[in-house]
Amino acid sequence: MAELAAAAGGSAPTRRRIPPLVWFGIGWILLMLATALLADVAAPYRFTAYDLRNRLAMPGDPLHPLGTDELGRDVLSRLIVSIRISLMIAFGATVISAALGTLMGFLAAHFRGIVEQVVLMLADFQAAMPFLVLALAVLAFFGNSLPLFVCLMGLYGWERYARIARGLAIAAGAQSYAGAVRQIGAGPARVYLRHILPNIASTLIVSMTLTFPEVILLESGLSFLGLGVQPPMTSLGNMVGYGREYITRAPWIMLAPATVIVLTTLAVSLVGDWLRDRLDPTLR
Amino acid sequence: MTAPLLEADALVRLYSTRRGLFGRPTTVQAVDGVSLAIEKGRTLGLVGESGSGKSTTGRLVLGLERPDGGRVRYRGVDLPAPGSRDWRRLRARMQMVFQDPLGALDRRLPIALQVREPLDVHGVGSASERAARTAELLAAVGLGVHQGQRYPHELSGGQRQRAVIARALATGPDLLVCDEPVSALDVSIQAQVVNLLVDLQAQFGLGMLFISHDLKVVRQVSHRVAVMYLGRIVEEGEADAVFAAPAHPYTAALVSASPHPARRGRPRIILAGDPPNPAARPAGCAFHPRCPVAASVCRVESPALLPLPGGRHVACHLAQDGAQPLRAAV
Amino acid sequence: MLRFLLLRSGRALLTVALVVTFAFVVLRLSGDPALLIMSVDAPPEAIAAFRRAWGLDDPIWQQYLRYFGAIAQGELGQSMRDGRPAIELVAERIPATLALTLPALLIKLGLGIPAGIYAALHRDSAVDRLVMVAAVAGFTVPSFVLGLVLVLVFSVQLGWLPSGGQDGWLHAVLPTMTLGIGGAAVLARFTRSAMLEVLGQPYMRTASAKGLPWRRAVLSHALPNAAIPTVTIVGFMVGSLIAGAVVVESVFSWPGVGRLLVVAVSNRDLAVVQCILLLVAVTMVTANFVVDLMYGLLDPRLRSGAKGGH
Repeated sequence: MAELAAAAGGSAPTRRRIPPLVWFGIGWILLMLATALLADVAAPYRFTAYDLRNRLAMPGDPLHPLGTDELGRDVLSRLIVSIRISLMIAFGATVISAALGTLMGFLAAHFRGIVEQVVLMLADFQAAMPFLVLALAVLAFFGNSLPLFVCLMGLYGWERYARIARGLAIAAGAQSYAGAVRQIGAGPARVYLRHILPNIASTLIVSMTLTFPEVILLESGLSFLGLGVQPPMTSLGNMVGYGREYITRAPWIMLAPATVIVLTTLAVSLVGDWLRDRLDPTLR
Repeated sequence: MTAPLLEADALVRLYSTRRGLFGRPTTVQAVDGVSLAIEKGRTLGLVGESGSGKSTTGRLVLGLERPDGGRVRYRGVDLPAPGSRDWRRLRARMQMVFQDPLGALDRRLPIALQVREPLDVHGVGSASERAARTAELLAAVGLGVHQGQRYPHELSGGQRQRAVIARALATGPDLLVCDEPVSALDVSIQAQVVNLLVDLQAQFGLGMLFISHDLKVVRQVSHRVAVMYLGRIVEEGEADAVFAAPAHPYTAALVSASPHPARRGRPRIILAGDPPNPAARPAGCAFHPRCPVAASVCRVESPALLPLPGGRHVACHLAQDGAQPLRAAV
Repeated sequence: MLRFLLLRSGRALLTVALVVTFAFVVLRLSGDPALLIMSVDAPPEAIAAFRRAWGLDDPIWQQYLRYFGAIAQGELGQSMRDGRPAIELVAERIPATLALTLPALLIKLGLGIPAGIYAALHRDSAVDRLVMVAAVAGFTVPSFVLGLVLVLVFSVQLGWLPSGGQDGWLHAVLPTMTLGIGGAAVLARFTRSAMLEVLGQPYMRTASAKGLPWRRAVLSHALPNAAIPTVTIVGFMVGSLIAGAVVVESVFSWPGVGRLLVVAVSNRDLAVVQCILLLVAVTMVTANFVVDLMYGLLDPRLRSGAKGGH
């Protein structure tokens, strides 16, 4: 995608200059973060408030800039709250996945042998099965609640961090700084948390930015199916799913959150790809 | 002579390697029956080409790896298993100086913090005592306080190695294993670091195992010297005696290849054949394919390491017969 | 070669066993099956009888083995909604799903691979840029958004095509397009980068330096080598013939396996969910196995096992 950024920017990326599309990505991410943080202040109405005299108002309405839905709820306000929820879930899930994956990778690197084989086997399994189906199965068995849903999303992509963390920890331990620290007599906690983790953090963060958009897509997909975030709560996928019922009469209900989903995944991917090229070209 | 600080007895270390995930494993004898002793305040030089098993020997001696055979005793007690609590506590007594100081340092932490780390790990003294000790250590290796605040990449190679040495000395160990400590450094810096090690050894009475392929450096620091070839010690003795009159043809070849003022003008022995490959160990004396004086017995029978007069040991059929392989070669 | 086959089939069976284990663990963690299946206010004697009947008081490993045995014999339980065998319910939905996913796979292959190859051979051309833009769009636009946008344009605005349901081939056009376009973009991007990597290899330069016409060099050297990584992703696409349409089937109310899965999850119809889970696992594993075999054909080095695993 950095290639795209370069192509659309019209010139090859120089080492220092940030391509315009990446600027767009950064700007959009900041806008989304600000929206999520200031959702309470920024939303003109409560996201559940009805305005029964203004049902299915078109965008551009003086009271409702992005229109209203079937029940006269303000689309802009719902969108703002949805952004907050979707970002929170995606962020929480990405952090859980990174923490879990890194832990598994470290365990594999530390114990080697059978532990390592088990971790690698689980990672292969996770990579081979379509995550959506596994997630649906878990939801069927356990039912749905927000904390469970976030944890479930947190299983997405752990195997990538595990592979990265394992590889880098083994490299650091063999003949390098981690081996030296171990040789001093430091325990595993000090070796892994104080030395290896800070050294591989940039690689892990880059892979988080590459996984984050996929988590947003997964969350919105499940919520769209009605199996993710449950009403009265709302999320971007939820809004699209709801808006689908009114696609002929009020397509804006669905288009507004759909646009946000697409732009957010695009922005994070652009910035993530750019970061990867800058910080860690070894990642695929 | 008092009991040695550390004794290694008939160490064996095997590595099994595979070609690919499903290839047949092949076993390589990296170290094959090495015995040595390190005494307090004295340095044993360990010499050999790459692949001779000298670095592995160093790691075995420190207890970083478990030997597949033989034992290592520190002050008469067997080394505990790597990673155990006792093993970790013992790290305060024996330390290592690495070949690549940049790799051995954490590039995300300032130097002083890393020099101080062994004190933190082993809980030595109070916070202020540790700070004072850190400054003292930095000064002892010739680094200033401001250099302690720098990060590894901001220092020169020599300064980094000084930092690694300071870290190794932090807990006041009595055994130091130096694995090629100067071979990654500029020649101009090498002498400074070697002199520093010699001074520190004298100052703290350290027992030292000094591993190097560079005879010139080994000669400078060692009291005794052991020469390794394909996982075995082929000659061992007082450094001056070994260098002055090598008994093993391999030692002779190494010595003749190393420039030395007293030996100027003498012809150099050029070793024929392939460099040693631990995966394809020749039968008989492992050195015989490259030996300029090999006899028929050398192809069949592996020579044992036997004593010669003058406290020296050598593993060579010809030397043990009293012949002078060096003269014969020249 | 035999050793390779044995290893790979062992690995495939292991993955299926893992999925079964996963289903068992999740089933057990989700609560007491007796309470889950019987109503909450069922008399304690009835619950005890149920537990005895299903062997729920046996040690967990016995239950696990029994579960494994039942699944190995194809006993996948009954749907809790209408009491029919789950496997029957699922099987009758498969044709509908394949009616979408097979044409979509053809679109992906027929559009994605040529586009990727063309883009790589004409780097920085207008087509190359278009492929890259489409590839990014294919990744960032989720299928339900693409599907709804297509509905908006072709059904709502133009009125050309129906927006949902299953009533003749016209109804299949939009869902198939939704599946095909997104996948084609991903495949194009993948093929393009695989081709670019191969084109940069020394042997390609050697081939053209030796006077081999560029067209011949591409046909006989570049394409077979670029095919190796591409086969992986195609294998994944084949493997998801069953599971890849979950979202799209829901968008278009298409009565396939995916729709069944979503409904079963909503109703917590565990037997059906478990059956689909296994079906997906078996499809996926089979596809991976075939990919491995194709690797062996494309890249003789792998056959000797010199480079196992990924």
